[in-house]
Amino acid sequence: MKRLWLLMWFAGFVLAAVGGAAAAQEVVVGTSVALTGKYDRTGREQLQGFQMWVEEVNARGGLLGRKVRLVHYDDESKPETGAKLYEKLITDDKVDLLIGPYSSDVTMAASTVAEKHNFPMVSSGASASEIWERGFKNIFGLYTLAETYMDQILEFGKSKGLKKIALVYENTAFPRGVASGVKAKAKSLGMQVVYEEEYGKASTDFTSMIVKIKARKPDMIVGGSYLPDSTAFVRQAKENRLTAKIFAFAVGPGLPDFGKNLGLDAEGVMGNTQWEPTLNIPGAREFADKYKAKHGHEPGYHAGGGYGAGQVLEAAVKKAGATDRDKVRQALFDLDTVTAFGRFKVDATGKQVGKPGYTVQWIDGERHVVLPASAATRKIVYPFKDWAKR
Amino acid sequence: MQELLDPVVLGQLLIGGLLAGALYALLACGLNLVFGVMRIINIAHADLMLVGAFAAWVLFATLGLNPVVALALVVPAAFLFGYGLQAVLIERVVGRPLLASLLATYGVSILLVNLGLLIFGSDYKSVPVWQGSFVVGEFVIPKPRAAAGAVAVALALGVYFFLERTRLGKAMRAVSEHPHVATICGIDTRRIRMIAFGLAAAMAAAAGAMLSMIYSFSPLTSADFIQKCFAIIIIGGMGNFLGALYGGLLLGVVEAYVGGVLTTQWAEAVAYLLLVLVLLVRPTGLRGAADVR
Repeated sequence: MKRLWLLMWFAGFVLAAVGGAAAAQEVVVGTSVALTGKYDRTGREQLQGFQMWVEEVNARGGLLGRKVRLVHYDDESKPETGAKLYEKLITDDKVDLLIGPYSSDVTMAASTVAEKHNFPMVSSGASASEIWERGFKNIFGLYTLAETYMDQILEFGKSKGLKKIALVYENTAFPRGVASGVKAKAKSLGMQVVYEEEYGKASTDFTSMIVKIKARKPDMIVGGSYLPDSTAFVRQAKENRLTAKIFAFAVGPGLPDFGKNLGLDAEGVMGNTQWEPTLNIPGAREFADKYKAKHGHEPGYHAGGGYGAGQVLEAAVKKAGATDRDKVRQALFDLDTVTAFGRFKVDATGKQVGKPGYTVQWIDGERHVVLPASAATRKIVYPFKDWAKR
Repeated sequence: MQELLDPVVLGQLLIGGLLAGALYALLACGLNLVFGVMRIINIAHADLMLVGAFAAWVLFATLGLNPVVALALVVPAAFLFGYGLQAVLIERVVGRPLLASLLATYGVSILLVNLGLLIFGSDYKSVPVWQGSFVVGEFVIPKPRAAAGAVAVALALGVYFFLERTRLGKAMRAVSEHPHVATICGIDTRRIRMIAFGLAAAMAAAAGAMLSMIYSFSPLTSADFIQKCFAIIIIGGMGNFLGALYGGLLLGVVEAYVGGVLTTQWAEAVAYLLLVLVLLVRPTGLRGAADVR
């Protein structure tokens, strides 16, 4: 009996050693994304985009000749869970490279963990400039900043002589970033924010808000929102016959679900996008086609960002010639490259400065790029059709 | 703030509040019925609501049924589901320490949420029918909310009259007031409990089917609703059917006005502020019937 135990001990050691050797030959990339909770839809898209890159890079022979293995967890859309998971990824799973979570909210928390361990993190799903204003040296963004999201739409509104803006937004990092951008831009354009209100992450009923907005008769309704709240707001705007010349929301209208859930009511609603398959970027169409074949729908920018983040990592590791943290960090600072997601070029804080943003609008049941004109796939539809006349 | 003196704005807030409150009431009535009859706090109550919402969604997506029409299928099915659930599981924890029933219903909740995630995923769903609104003078009344409000009031009152007027309803109240004496009087308390849980499940599912026309929902939506439900039954009076009705309507209206006067963020917290206030001033709730055994 004793001998048997000894044998098993020995076997265990051998297995552990073999396993360790195998692990040394692969590059482990860690990430957490929201697979449940408010950001689940967008989080999952981002993960699927990233997973496609993992498959492709392995088909190409991996990174530095080593196979790439992805470790991912669900952060439940919660910043505190995200922070814990990145701690686990770095200390327990001992990953070689890090990809950021989805949402500015969770990224704010997760990036403090990466900073603590001095571990560079490529962030796909975050755009609040707050993230890059803390003097951190390890967070590299792909997204155009939240503060600039509504610029094109406000400029367009200005060109049509619109003046009064109603602004509503969720009380977390990204929507607040969008809102502060809207306020600054409105001021510089000489437009007036006649109504402003923050709402909670779990808000589903905006009736009281809409009743008040109606009384102020704004020309434009602008929302710093995600998918569930923008969908609910538009539906309730219709129920309460809230009219304006422009309805514009962050995130929601950029996703296929927006049109699916609202049906005809999505018509004319504007939004922002970081990326669309129709953009004239090398590799964008190919990625979109492959994604569609695999997942059954056209990818939105969240999936595109996940895929792009993979390509950025790949470019950085190639440039660094190693997965060493210091070398990868330097490579990310120096990199100026174009992925299927667009240009990647950061400033000294790690903030994205190379990639422009785009404006979309739902026209005839499809999402079209309408601004800037150079990238437009349809002419902008103006003004927003009155609910009573639909 | 000047728009708050406008009678149109005030009236519009009242309409919104009453319609939201009716749905809260329908949901909370079932929770209170179960608590009244068997002293069990059903944590899975809002998940039963989502069962109704998803059933309505499936019936809409496959057969194109309007959720109001779908009620004819959803309500009896939910009744049988609740009846069965009581027979198989909840009956085992009746009369046991409170923790046993809390754990059992919490288990049901986890099971239902994860079944929902497995079958439907966590995407937000909604049933886009009857979008838009009626215009009455200066006021707008959203169609789906009006339908939901009417259904909620009709069902809640229906169950109320059932409890007040019918023999079975009286038996149910007898079990609620004193199960021991009810047994001695020859009432089959086990059957009464199964019917009560069935009714509660049916009301929850009806609320869910109505909710599917108004909000987007996913299997994880239940958490917000169950918390509000608890607040409502404590505000209205634990175990008192009418208390839940009043509590629901009250919460809807107060939320609407707080949202109007202050902000939506305050409106979300008001259920709990109201709860604390009621507990301080009138610890037995508005209808003051809760007795401690």
